[in-house]
Amino acid sequence: MPASRNHEEESPLNKNMRILIVDDFSTMRRIVKNLLGDLGFTNTAEAEDGHAALSLLQSQPFDFIVTDWNMPVMTGIELLRAVRADPKLKTLPVLMVTAEAKREQIIEAAQAGVNGYIIKPFTAQTLEEKLGKIFERLAAST
Amino acid sequence: MVTTSDTAGDRNALIQHLQEALGALESGDEAGWRREIDALAALRTQPMMAGLGRLARELGQALGDLPTVPSDAGELDDACARLDHVVEMTEKATHRTLDLAEQCRELVTGLREDRLPPVEHEQALEQIRRNLTEIALTQSYQDLTGQIIRRVVSIVRRVHEGFGALGLPQPEEEAPGNTLAGPAVGGLDRHAVSQHDADDLLSDLGL
Repeated sequence: MPASRNHEEESPLNKNMRILIVDDFSTMRRIVKNLLGDLGFTNTAEAEDGHAALSLLQSQPFDFIVTDWNMPVMTGIELLRAVRADPKLKTLPVLMVTAEAKREQIIEAAQAGVNGYIIKPFTAQTLEEKLGKIFERLAAST
Repeated sequence: MVTTSDTAGDRNALIQHLQEALGALESGDEAGWRREIDALAALRTQPMMAGLGRLARELGQALGDLPTVPSDAGELDDACARLDHVVEMTEKATHRTLDLAEQCRELVTGLREDRLPPVEHEQALEQIRRNLTEIALTQSYQDLTGQIIRRVVSIVRRVHEGFGALGLPQPEEEAPGNTLAGPAVGGLDRHAVSQHDADDLLSDLGL
């Protein structure tokens, strides 16, 4: 097996968890999906904006959301607020992957209850680190 | 819509200026008739000047929505710098993709000759897999350049709307644009933070 696959066995993360990828650019959804696949997470679904994501979230179970911020129809921050306001969805971890790089925006996302924040363009290593950190924290808090 | 009372008002003003200009000309009052002719010209150009003023204001606002350049360069330079950045990003990504693809091709050639020791054979396969992952990741420029181009398109659209207000056919009503900064451009967005800064900030906020 290639060396970079070895960490899969060491990782405490549930590789079967269902992940929803939300971005208005199909290229970015594909890139995130491929990177997650490389990390061993292959159970993914895609939505092109917050509105489409919410309707998927209400019709099937998910364990994790990776969302962009700037999207038409419904933005990522609006999706995050809607998720936190929904009794059934409010504990769902949300990772924001966005080009928005202003302090005020990062603070806004944190106050809205984001679990992680990645600034585009990003590396595979950053995604892996943030994923690990998010689930480490969640495991510690339960 | 131009109302009938406005048209009637315009017509009365026109008649008055023409009569006074004629009167001044007949009585040899040169300053008088020149003043009346100037007033007539102003009547014709004022709506155009007001329209241009409004267009300049709207253009200023549209460009003002974008972070300004650190130097005293103009606002249009900012939009142009963003488009230059798009060219730069796409060029860089394309070169990177081509480099990785060429390296993969060389590795495949090496594997095909099948003269590599098992360890090197395995390493070549792993390098190809890594290159393919990086090629996929390099395509992420499309999302960022797409966002920048859409912002510049909205500026162009507003200018177009301004021209519409000057009497050209009016485009459809457009929802006001969002206030997000979008992708940070090096040298333009002084308030953008790095992933490292973002991590520190989030850790300060307990994340």
